[in-house]
Amino acid sequence: MLAVILTLLLCAPVPLLRAESVSAEEQYAKARKLLNAHCLVCHRGKAAAGGFDLAKYPTQASILADPRRWNNVVLRVRQHEMPPPGAMTIPHEVREEFTAWMTRELRQAACRDGLAPQPAPLRRLNRNEYASTVRDLLNIHINAGHILPADGAGGEGFDNAAETLFLSPIHAEKYLEAARDALHYGSRDPRSRKAFIISEPGEGVSPEAAAQRNLEAFLPRAFRRPITGDELEQYLALYRRAALSGRGFEESLLFAFQGALISPHFLFLFEEPNPEAGPRLLGHYEFASRLSYFLWGSMPDKELFDLAAGNRLHEVEVIETQIARMLKDHKSLEFAERFVEQWLGTRELGRDIKPDPELFREYYDAELQSAIRYEPILFFQELLSGNHSLMNLLDSPFTILTNKLQRHYGLDIKGLSQQPKRVELPEGHTRGGLLGMSAVLAVSSLSHRTSPVLRGKWVLDALLGTPPPPPPPDVPELPEEHTGAAPRTVREKLAQHRQNPACASCHDRIDPIGFGLEHYDVIGRWRTHEAGKPVDAKGELPGGMAFEGVGGLKQVLLARKDLFFRNLTAKMLGYALGRGLSLEDECTVDRIVEQLVNKDDRAQQMVRSIVLSVPFRYQPGTRPGVAVTQAEVKRMQEKP
Amino acid sequence: MTTRGFPLSRRTMLRGAGAALALPWLEAMTPARAHAAPGASAHPVRMAALYMPNGVHPDFWTPETTGRGFQLSPTLEPLEDLKHELLVLTNLWNEGSQGGDGHYVKISGFLTCTTVTKTLGVDISVNGTSMDQLAAQRAGKRTPIPSLELGTSPVTTGVDRNVGYTRVYGSHIAWNGPTSPLAKEIDPRHVFERLFRAGQPETGAAQDRLLLDRVIDDARQLRERLGMADRQRMDEYLSVVRSLEDRLERAERPEESDWKRRADVDPAARPAGPPKDFAEHVRLMMDMIAMAFQTDSTRIATFMFNNEVSNQSFSFLDGVDGGHHSISHHQREEDKLRQYRIINRWHVEQYAYLLRKLRDMKEGESNVLENSMVLFGSGIRDGDRHDPHNLPVLLAGRAGGRLDTGQHLTYEKDTPLANLYVSMLDAFGTPVQRFADSTASLRGVLK
Repeated sequence: MLAVILTLLLCAPVPLLRAESVSAEEQYAKARKLLNAHCLVCHRGKAAAGGFDLAKYPTQASILADPRRWNNVVLRVRQHEMPPPGAMTIPHEVREEFTAWMTRELRQAACRDGLAPQPAPLRRLNRNEYASTVRDLLNIHINAGHILPADGAGGEGFDNAAETLFLSPIHAEKYLEAARDALHYGSRDPRSRKAFIISEPGEGVSPEAAAQRNLEAFLPRAFRRPITGDELEQYLALYRRAALSGRGFEESLLFAFQGALISPHFLFLFEEPNPEAGPRLLGHYEFASRLSYFLWGSMPDKELFDLAAGNRLHEVEVIETQIARMLKDHKSLEFAERFVEQWLGTRELGRDIKPDPELFREYYDAELQSAIRYEPILFFQELLSGNHSLMNLLDSPFTILTNKLQRHYGLDIKGLSQQPKRVELPEGHTRGGLLGMSAVLAVSSLSHRTSPVLRGKWVLDALLGTPPPPPPPDVPELPEEHTGAAPRTVREKLAQHRQNPACASCHDRIDPIGFGLEHYDVIGRWRTHEAGKPVDAKGELPGGMAFEGVGGLKQVLLARKDLFFRNLTAKMLGYALGRGLSLEDECTVDRIVEQLVNKDDRAQQMVRSIVLSVPFRYQPGTRPGVAVTQAEVKRMQEKP
Repeated sequence: MTTRGFPLSRRTMLRGAGAALALPWLEAMTPARAHAAPGASAHPVRMAALYMPNGVHPDFWTPETTGRGFQLSPTLEPLEDLKHELLVLTNLWNEGSQGGDGHYVKISGFLTCTTVTKTLGVDISVNGTSMDQLAAQRAGKRTPIPSLELGTSPVTTGVDRNVGYTRVYGSHIAWNGPTSPLAKEIDPRHVFERLFRAGQPETGAAQDRLLLDRVIDDARQLRERLGMADRQRMDEYLSVVRSLEDRLERAERPEESDWKRRADVDPAARPAGPPKDFAEHVRLMMDMIAMAFQTDSTRIATFMFNNEVSNQSFSFLDGVDGGHHSISHHQREEDKLRQYRIINRWHVEQYAYLLRKLRDMKEGESNVLENSMVLFGSGIRDGDRHDPHNLPVLLAGRAGGRLDTGQHLTYEKDTPLANLYVSMLDAFGTPVQRFADSTASLRGVLK
């Protein structure tokens, strides 16, 4: 029962119809009716608007044969772009039903033919990956990437998406400068130096021979693959040119290294295109890089390179051992940090989102801020390295605290210091899971007060992957009163707002979620009163389901763990692949979710499923859309 | 760059370009003498565009009277002493940025006057080139730095799944091509260092060029192995590396260029540390634009006060207690409107600060402001309505005598914003026949 009501709760296309028992024919007939009633007037004939002629799609099969176009139709209808302003509007329920049906049909059609790997666009190292790679390559401990411009995000919302990693003229200057500085810094520190200068000229070793040895060791690590004789010769030529101009051995060598660090071989994650017609497994070195940029955000280490050299990285057992090893390594913090901060949006904390310094002076304590920022990150890392259930993200008996953070939370736990530490929460606590974390609560608040709307929207988007559509045009947003009449609570104002049916259709689903979190203030402290009145954290979702407080809300979310897993899996797959997902990739997501829901929902299982998935391990051939056979998938995912 | 050989006929060009969006008079088509300093002025013309997110309070923006003797509106009051250098332009709109969503489409199309493609990233395109970059592509090589892109915030994180756009769109106004947003420099010290070095032969420049030659060769080889889509990425790499190579080359051979640094960079002006707050950050960036223009390190600059939809807190201003975007959704509510006005006015004050700074920089008989044109605007009018009609747009400076300033000009409803850009590109010395949806040059702006 709960699940049925909850499907109604979401402004979500996918789950809405799961419980219905309408036949496929009836659903298609309904969709056709909508298209005829609302779209046909403009989208017909030679002069069809946007070149989109519905006459070309007379049957369900013809619709499903053009998934890209129809996926776009779904998006535009869902986001109220179509029908355009001024045209007759589609009632909210009809709209939702239509988009849910279309989405499901398109996805099923895409999955019917098996899993076809998608092309992986050439991807530049983003600023963070650049910094970590230079750090590991030179064994230095400065951030070589700090002078580079920040990268925007695409795809599933991450700044490692190939499609939005642009280059501006400013990059060329900065790469040159960053490489020079990093190499000079590294060469002066004996510990770093021996990581990349392994041979010095001396007795029996000419400067040129030493330079060659160094380049033979350095270039394959910088380019993340074996190099050709030509390549060695070309970089040796740089050394020679510098040496001829009178520079010393070391300076000349660093000069050649600097060239390597601005080369596209270093800056881009290149994968040799597959000349065969059908899909094939990625090469061992290419796979090593995919793995290390996913789980470490940096270059492969010696062990991974050795396995690649031995052609071992197609073996499931080897891959699994590596996943476990890599997640235990401290470098997995980079994965946790970059993934979590962008997934939850907490990276904007301190940037565009800042609690008002006058109202929340307590927040402006560097130590506390850092503890707040790192709580979700370290918590996630703990789930990964300890291989705990991912359900801990929704509710958990433990979290990661420092002494200041626990006081901020009103706890009284002994033995905590400045160092963040895993802590079992005491009986009767109000924390546990992402929803009890200050970072999340602050990032979904306004700077001066909490906003049930923003928090509700945050939960629907970040946790359940079902962002509400934007408000329909020309609907007033929430009026807010400052002076004059007696102050009313936000809840009362929102109730008034929901009296407008155009608003209510979504806000009936958004606002109650936010009400459930009203016991937390802007910076995530527990409060019992707001504006002199006791906090009312009751929420009632469509269908009459009432709950109270964060505890009640957690129950609501736990009952929809399939949605939560789907969203988390799509996010992580998008992050792992460094690109936006296509319809075909969604099939992979569905399979992984099925495993998580029915078998094993521990963190490493999810990572394992992603790493062993078709899109992560395979590359397409010259003929697009060819699937990897079921037998092959099975064979490649099982241990011999 | 010099013109050599036969200039292309316009017909040849049209055929080659197909239905080009903008029809620039390419360098190759311009008679060689047009390359001399434009107009009568002996000083170069500079162009800047300042972008303010989140629109304005519409009731306090537009001056009530028009023509030369116009009275400034309350929001524009900080420009009182600059009135004679100012053009207030009313009723311009950006048709391409209609629809889509309330913000991303408006900002990324502000200087391109196009409709950007709706996408979370894969198909990113503004389907055009921004006005400043069109100018930079044609005249950028006349200065050590072709153009400066400045801001105060890094690209906003993530994609906006509510409306279906990547936030990359909300963070860029300068587009060097449909798929080439230009990264902003947000650290004033880094800008200073670039200006300090600009045009000076750099130690090791010849060596650097060796490196660049090496990697250009790497990129060419790699390119051959890539599929079509990825070749575009490698072309982008090649173009940025070549632009640096070109810059180093020019700096090495000052005798071949007629560029000279027009003022010394004062080492004492080096920003001491990271800006302590937003207001100081903006001021420092304004200082950098002024310095860039004064020294002639570049003649083209864009500056974003903040990314679109920014919720920058303005509680540092008296009487304001919230974030920019929240307040811009005022719902006609008195208190929010009051705060919105204060924020609008603050932005105009910063604009006035830059204009005064440029005016105080002597240049021959005149000053740098006389030889500049500084655009100020937002991609929407009322932040509560997300409407690209009657945009808040100001232009100041006389562009070396080309602009007929000191007026409030009101146009027919729905006059394309692109018409203004046609006029500006003309005044800058890089005329175009059309820009995006322009219909003509903007009446009354040019002398």
